[in-house]
Amino acid sequence: MDNQGSPQTTRRTTRSSLAAANINSENTAESSKSIDLQPMTINDLVYGNESASFDELISNFPGRSSQIIDLIRLLGPINSPIFPLFIYGGASVGKTSVVLEIFRYLKRPFVYASCISCYNPKILFESILNQLLLHRKSESNGYSSAKRCEKPSDFVNLLREALRRVIDTLKGNKGKSSSKKGAVRPRGEMIYLIFDNFELLREWDKSSNIVPFVFKLHDILRLPEVGLIFISSASLDTYYADTGFVEPIPVYFPDYTEDNVRQILMKGVTNQKIYSAFLDVVLKPFYRITRRVNELSAAFSPLFSKYCEPLGDFQGVPNENLKRKLFAHLQPYVAHSLNEIFRVVNQPSSETSSNNTRKLKGTSKKLGMYESSDELDFHMSTSAKYLLISAFLASRNPATLDGSLFDSTGGSDNRKRKRKSSEKAMEQKETAEQELLMKGPGTFPLERLLAIFQCITSVVEYSTVEESQTDGGTGGDGFNSLLMSDVLLQLSSLINANFISKGTSCPLEGSTRYRSTVSEDMALKVARSLKFPLSKYIYRR
Amino acid sequence: MYRFIFLSFFPRHFRLLLTSPSWSAEKGKPPVFLKNQLKIYMGQKNPVEEALVLLRARLCSPNFMFTLFLDSPDSNYSKLKYILSSSVTEACNNSLLLLGPRGCGKIAVLDLVLQDLLKEYPDMISVINLNGLLHSDDNCAVKEIARQLCLQHELVFSKMASYDDNSQFIIAMLQECGLAHKTLIFVLDEFDLFAQGKQRLLYSLLDAMQSVTSQAVVIGVSCRLDADQLLEKRVRSRFSHRKLLFLPPSKDDLQRIFEHILLLPEDSGLPYEYVADFNSKLNNMLIDKKFKEIVEKLFNSDSTFNHIVRFLFSALCHMDLKSGFLSLENFRTALSSIETQAKLESLKDCSILELYILVCMKRLEVKEKETCNFNSIMKEYKNIHESFQTPDYYARNVCLRAFEHLLQRELISFLDNRSSGQSIEFRPVKLLISWQELHQGLKQYRSCPAVLFKLMDREG
Repeated sequence: MDNQGSPQTTRRTTRSSLAAANINSENTAESSKSIDLQPMTINDLVYGNESASFDELISNFPGRSSQIIDLIRLLGPINSPIFPLFIYGGASVGKTSVVLEIFRYLKRPFVYASCISCYNPKILFESILNQLLLHRKSESNGYSSAKRCEKPSDFVNLLREALRRVIDTLKGNKGKSSSKKGAVRPRGEMIYLIFDNFELLREWDKSSNIVPFVFKLHDILRLPEVGLIFISSASLDTYYADTGFVEPIPVYFPDYTEDNVRQILMKGVTNQKIYSAFLDVVLKPFYRITRRVNELSAAFSPLFSKYCEPLGDFQGVPNENLKRKLFAHLQPYVAHSLNEIFRVVNQPSSETSSNNTRKLKGTSKKLGMYESSDELDFHMSTSAKYLLISAFLASRNPATLDGSLFDSTGGSDNRKRKRKSSEKAMEQKETAEQELLMKGPGTFPLERLLAIFQCITSVVEYSTVEESQTDGGTGGDGFNSLLMSDVLLQLSSLINANFISKGTSCPLEGSTRYRSTVSEDMALKVARSLKFPLSKYIYRR
Repeated sequence: MYRFIFLSFFPRHFRLLLTSPSWSAEKGKPPVFLKNQLKIYMGQKNPVEEALVLLRARLCSPNFMFTLFLDSPDSNYSKLKYILSSSVTEACNNSLLLLGPRGCGKIAVLDLVLQDLLKEYPDMISVINLNGLLHSDDNCAVKEIARQLCLQHELVFSKMASYDDNSQFIIAMLQECGLAHKTLIFVLDEFDLFAQGKQRLLYSLLDAMQSVTSQAVVIGVSCRLDADQLLEKRVRSRFSHRKLLFLPPSKDDLQRIFEHILLLPEDSGLPYEYVADFNSKLNNMLIDKKFKEIVEKLFNSDSTFNHIVRFLFSALCHMDLKSGFLSLENFRTALSSIETQAKLESLKDCSILELYILVCMKRLEVKEKETCNFNSIMKEYKNIHESFQTPDYYARNVCLRAFEHLLQRELISFLDNRSSGQSIEFRPVKLLISWQELHQGLKQYRSCPAVLFKLMDREG
């Protein structure tokens, strides 16, 4: 959730992979045999090997000190029982990493389960049990879980059993002096269960009562040695249950303030002075748009390289004069980049965590249709482009108009219907416009798409006879006959690329209906690349 | 939910809570003395820490608070104990419901009673615990009953047994226990969930209890006061309509509860002077007028036992470990930390652009457009920009991202749940905050553009 400079805080490793990495680094000679992991011990329930100090903890998380102190106080001294905690706050405010680092600092054993990777009750339950039973999936056990468990009732019984065993081991541990060196011994007799991304649990099964169940787990288990921690991006009042639930103690992580963002961005920067001067210029306007550190840092990295361009190899401290010069250099780019803040994707910046890049990828897919540059930045076959345009037309134009638009002579450019714009007509026009805004593109059956496609391509053949020679593949007589099988393939790849969405089949007509999800800008761009007069065909209300 | 609604009527009170100085939140740097405190956490035994662990254990144990009410004759504890002990001694069948709001100690009191009875009549009682959240499915419930019966009577439980096997086993066990004059007590937590569906479990349990040979008590626990109305006719006619109502504590009880929980015992091995000091300071504070005000606020928002316990827990966590005494400040911070107003908090986290979008949606709502979606919001945003010359005018894709942020913050949500087909910009959305909340949020927002207030107040 957090992308700060220091590597150990950003990398969200699972504990088993961490252990694996450590073992690998120890015996590098037999790295090929790294599959033979040592059996897990109770010590594996502690996060990280190197110990961290309190000062490090605070300085690693600028702007989070009050939350860290609150959490440490709530967790309390060793062996103190605890109520369930509910940690919430927006995305990328450091909820998970703060909690994990605190546990590393306290050296207390815990079990971590994220509802993203454990995406249904069965996997969640089994993953928790696996960790508690110190079970590792491997080739020898066929990558199976320690226990099979699907129902909450089984889970509670197995969990209680497993927890008792772990707590007994922890109690037994206390007496012995630390025999093994190197390994961090868990402190205390408490074991904590951490549920991350808890908000996803709400969508798992609307009818089931898994949310009140997990909230009530503490009361159901009746084990004072167990602490529950929920991490969620949604606040408590967005969790609904019929008869309510036992409310945990809330801890709020607010978004970073401007100063905090500055501190975070300044971490790990080599030339502090110049970057600080840079942030003076850009941070304020960008902060008005978004407060997410991951988005800000993605937007800043290309800008900063622009900012540094006139500097050359200059490494010293910038004076006022130089700052002014740099500012003047950057000024035009800032205004431009403010409106394209999210175009920078997959920037290989050092601090983007794996989580971050995934998020950015996800959104770039969604935003892909809103590219605002003049050139298409992807490649597509010509027939796919035509298909895209015909889908766009089929979605935008009413079906009744198809006949007049695509008659045999092609184009309806000469047939403008003039109408008196009476008061009523204007009103109608307005409501229609409103409707278009609200309803979005319409749906169409496959037949209509193919018909429009054929019309368009035939029109192109008539109008661009000369050009067709240079165009190669599209021209020729065989084009139409070869078309069909090819087009269906293209269609399915367009659907996969999310340019056309496929709806459920209509109960009345029985055929599947499609819908174009391409914006008008995008369609016009595609048309321009084909030199196709798209604007002639769009029906304007 | 009740709490949130209530608080939003009292903006002044809320602000007062927020501005109460909290030592840790300032400047983002920990005070110097904190490091010493934290060293204490890592170190060995010390009396303050021990006292803290003791008090936390008290608060977290579900029953401790209710031991206070053991000796009063008209408490639920006495009534419940009378009913249960008479059905144990007189060997009769019985059924009753424990009703009351969540967090009022239904299960805790029942636990205390059962503990006492198990001590008084050893080997005459066996308790089966079921929870509606886990066992609302008949199959599951019957299996769990069989499992617990096997465990308690040292029989071998077969996982493979079918529903029929298990229910026959239960009936046989009921008869056996009746013959041996052993009472089976079924505790059904979240009773209302057992009343979903065919109610086969309830029927077969209650039906088995109609015979002379059996000796069992069914106790339903529910926070739905109409739980008995949920039962089918055939089940209801077999159910004795005995109900016990559990209510939140009265204001007079509060003082006793605080003393009961927070005063340190003198025989706990803690140093005598410390205990005496701690207790006298606490006693002084409990009669303090300012403390009473805090408690009043707590009581007004939610007066259940559960809420009080969480309040005390939070106060205890804020205790200064160096001095080792609870202060008034601790309770004040505790109150503000457990009474959160999530929507206002997330409004404060919004960026300026996100606020613009919210205000646009608000304006569309005022204009009584039935539904709005991203496109209509953008139209309004453009209108605003044209008529007021606002400085914050960004491109459509930037706004779309801000719009998505709002969706993630759950300040707005889609009207329909179907995610298929439509792209985000066309799906209708609605605001999840009221006009008052938005207004209050804007007021509390640091450096909120003045034009937004103007836009909020004015139409068109």
